[in-house]
Amino acid sequence: MPANKYVCIICPNSCEIEAELSDNGKIRVKGNLCKKGEDYARKEICSPERGLTATILVDGGNLPLASVKLSKPIPKKLMKQAAAEITKIRVQAPLKIGDVVMKNILGTGADVVVTKNVGRNP
Amino acid sequence: MTESYDIAVIGAGVVGSAIARELSAYQLKILLLEKECDVALGTSGRNSGVSHAGFYVPTGTLKAELNIKGHEMMPALCRELGVPHHEVGKIVVAKDEDEREYLYELKETGEKNGSKSLRIIGKDEIKELEPNIRGIEALHSPKTAILDPFILNIALAENAQKNGVVIRLNTEVSDIESNGGFKIKTNRGVFAAGIVVNSAGLHSDKVAAMAGIEGYEIYPCRGEYHLLDKSKRGLINGAVYPVPPKELGGLGIHLTPTTDGNIMLGPSAEYIEDADNTANTSEVMDKLFMESFEFLPRISRKDIIRSFSGVRPKLIAAGSKAPADFVVEESRKVPGFINLIGIESPGLTAAPAIAKKVAGIVKEIRELKPNPVFDPIRRPQLRFGELSDREKSDLIKKNPNYGMVVCRCQTITKQEVIDAINNPLCATSIYGISKRCKATHGRCQGGFCTPKIVEILEQLCAASPNDINLKGAGSELFKGKRGTP
Amino acid sequence: MIKKEIDVVIVGGGPAGLAAAISARKEGVSNVLIVERGESLGGILNQCIHEGFGVERFDEALSGPEYMQRFIDEADKLKIPYLLNSMVLEVSHDKKLLVCSAEGLTVTHAKAVILCMGCRERTRGQVCIPGLRPAGIFTAGTAQNLINLRGYKIGEKVVILGSGDIGLIMARRMTLEGAQVLAVAEVMPYSSGLPRNMAQCLTDFEIPLYLSHTVTEIHGKKRVEAVTIAEVDSRWKPVAGTEKRIKCDTLLLSIGLIPENELSRKAGIAIDETTGGPVIDEDLQTSADGIFSCGNVLHVHDLVDWVSLEGEKAGKSAADYVKGQKEKGRMIKVRPKEGIRYVLPHQITGKQDVRFSLRVMAPERNMRLVIMDADKTVKTISKKRVNPAEMISFTLKKEELAGCRDISVKLENAG
Repeated sequence: MPANKYVCIICPNSCEIEAELSDNGKIRVKGNLCKKGEDYARKEICSPERGLTATILVDGGNLPLASVKLSKPIPKKLMKQAAAEITKIRVQAPLKIGDVVMKNILGTGADVVVTKNVGRNP
Repeated sequence: MTESYDIAVIGAGVVGSAIARELSAYQLKILLLEKECDVALGTSGRNSGVSHAGFYVPTGTLKAELNIKGHEMMPALCRELGVPHHEVGKIVVAKDEDEREYLYELKETGEKNGSKSLRIIGKDEIKELEPNIRGIEALHSPKTAILDPFILNIALAENAQKNGVVIRLNTEVSDIESNGGFKIKTNRGVFAAGIVVNSAGLHSDKVAAMAGIEGYEIYPCRGEYHLLDKSKRGLINGAVYPVPPKELGGLGIHLTPTTDGNIMLGPSAEYIEDADNTANTSEVMDKLFMESFEFLPRISRKDIIRSFSGVRPKLIAAGSKAPADFVVEESRKVPGFINLIGIESPGLTAAPAIAKKVAGIVKEIRELKPNPVFDPIRRPQLRFGELSDREKSDLIKKNPNYGMVVCRCQTITKQEVIDAINNPLCATSIYGISKRCKATHGRCQGGFCTPKIVEILEQLCAASPNDINLKGAGSELFKGKRGTP
Repeated sequence: MIKKEIDVVIVGGGPAGLAAAISARKEGVSNVLIVERGESLGGILNQCIHEGFGVERFDEALSGPEYMQRFIDEADKLKIPYLLNSMVLEVSHDKKLLVCSAEGLTVTHAKAVILCMGCRERTRGQVCIPGLRPAGIFTAGTAQNLINLRGYKIGEKVVILGSGDIGLIMARRMTLEGAQVLAVAEVMPYSSGLPRNMAQCLTDFEIPLYLSHTVTEIHGKKRVEAVTIAEVDSRWKPVAGTEKRIKCDTLLLSIGLIPENELSRKAGIAIDETTGGPVIDEDLQTSADGIFSCGNVLHVHDLVDWVSLEGEKAGKSAADYVKGQKEKGRMIKVRPKEGIRYVLPHQITGKQDVRFSLRVMAPERNMRLVIMDADKTVKTISKKRVNPAEMISFTLKKEELAGCRDISVKLENAG
């Protein structure tokens, strides 16, 4: 893909958006069907961000792992490092969707949030 | 400390296991060595599973004699050992006038060999026996049977073990010293034995050479197979072989049902360099399907659930017209060393007869006293999926693990998997478990049940996740597990 | 043997089954039962930990487990009964089900059955990939189960065959779990995954995508040691001289999903070999009276939101059937024509609004869907972009269907 063409990842429409960064610092965006896409392209050209989902270890639960997500996207360049940090998380059951198991991962302001209910093992 | 035995059998394929079991009927200290993590991982686990009636083998050969004898012994043996064995019959089909002569040649050979039930049948009877097959004439062998080669091999080994045979898996022979008795060097120690039986199949020439017996060379010849989905089982009733094409290039296909309810296409025949090269090739897989399809147009490529191959330990090189017979004899050069070399088809059929012959050879070497507690019986495995609804219901009441279906394609329950894992040979590779309980052998090829089997394995064997393997050391499934150091 | 009488039995407690059960209950049928063979409700979405589910239905991009929890919570609120670790062994044409569980073997007589068994994955064996059969070959869904639900590390150097969404998602997942994904090979000249998945899963991690390529050999006796990939021609035949050997220890196969209709076939239900699922009418009823079907077992979906819609429809239809409200009418056939691979439902009465679902044969731009009644155009729908990987849906109102006798759908250039 040429440097300023992006496939928007916000929704299944997958708009092909062109974003141009001009000399005076202004960003021109075209090809998007909605505002979310415009925002996405602007970010992509300056400071791309990504969401992240992964799993954490659970002790004493009816499942050995719980799926998690980030409360908000983080800089793309920190993804692998963040994934590695999440792999180290180990918590006790029970867990509920929405529980925060790590705050402010790598100083990004994003929390690691549980997306799977895990009951306690009787 | 060197363990010492009366007899060491090298190779726990169907022949080696049959020999060990046969000898366990006598008061002997017997050792059965196998380099793989389980029995039936060599040629014994890669064949058509047919008990041949004896018309494909040249008259006057040891092959013919042992084929006929083995074929006669097989039904009772399979009953004793709880091995699935179905007398489905076979037809060899001629599609035109030119091919009829071949049928008569086969019949004549079979009858000379001692096969008593062969008959020539016409168009109408072909249609009656096999409604989906067309031909003008066929050779009908009603006594040709199919059996489960994995279970036969496993059953022979388990019964041998039950009767006192010591079985060492994962034990590969690297050298043999003969000095009024044998010292067998392996990767797991040295074993002493008075008599050695070399049933090492594809590597029997090398094992003979280890003992100083030169002159044997195995020429590996690979045969590829396709396995068809069970939904197509009804297309044929028994085994169906069209008369092989006279022109070069044709594979000469066989359609063989299996005791599990699939149909096998194959095998092909191709000489290869490496005896362990059990790959499938695109050219042969394609040809195998196309020729089978021409013969039976009601199959489609979508019916193939798996392909595999087996390698024949041939004693004749490619292109050679020289006949080659089984070698089943005590070495003249190294007394006490009994060689079994070149045991390709009809090796499976002949296995019980080979075992008796070897026992006869051993009798010439030393005294044999019958084992008073020899028990030839092995109970057949329970197959939940084959029971009636009432039987299923009663079984679950007694043991709820029979109510937990693990393999959905084949309806294999948790208890059957547990029993397979707890097998007497302690063979806990995924292949080993699958051969015993038939999980992963269905159309999804383990996609659904592998995670469940792995879970049960971890629980039962307290195995480290890194040890769980497909077919022995080096074939581990995992590089680790979260939360496990 | 235990005997039960249930009004609506739902086979499978995944996205389709849960939506169907909730819908049937809401339509007034209290005696419903979900029979689920897994250890929990939720089906395949339990292992789909990535986000993107529910954009249409909830206007949120949820993870699979979160999406399913909405339905599980609702089912709990409605006190819908369900059985876990219970496998339906058989469904008869007249709605008797044989169910196997640790509690015993049960014969359940149902007034209506909804089939929601989902699908299974195409295997290496089914596409005859040459080579040896070492450990380290996994279908993408099985790999996803092992990694996401059980925490296994299945490999370190991975090649993926198939660029559909599952393959792409696993490329990203394995990279984030620390593996190296060396290549994704795709036999078609285009990827069948959503463009945003291509971006997030391949482009983001600089994973090379080889279009018009397939795996021509697997190497390694015990464990995968390498795979050979090669370019293919328009008939998917490898082009000599284009082979490329890639050292790896894992091969992931994402080569297609097959609706799991073993139970349906055994029940004598008519199957459409193109969709792989039952032949159905506008109520999602199969050729067996009172047996309905929805979700991936009917046809493979790309959006779970649409699976839930289909499930709700099936649940309502089953409820109507049980309440005796289902009319039998003369059926109008619905046929796929040029450019359309399949269209559902296969037949309609023309007496109610119908939501049609279809897939096109090939990716195209600037097209129009043309719905005909014999040679008369009933409706046209413009489509800027169409793709076989993206199911298309549209609704025709009963007014639009009035008087129709022979419906067909085709794709043509917008001109």
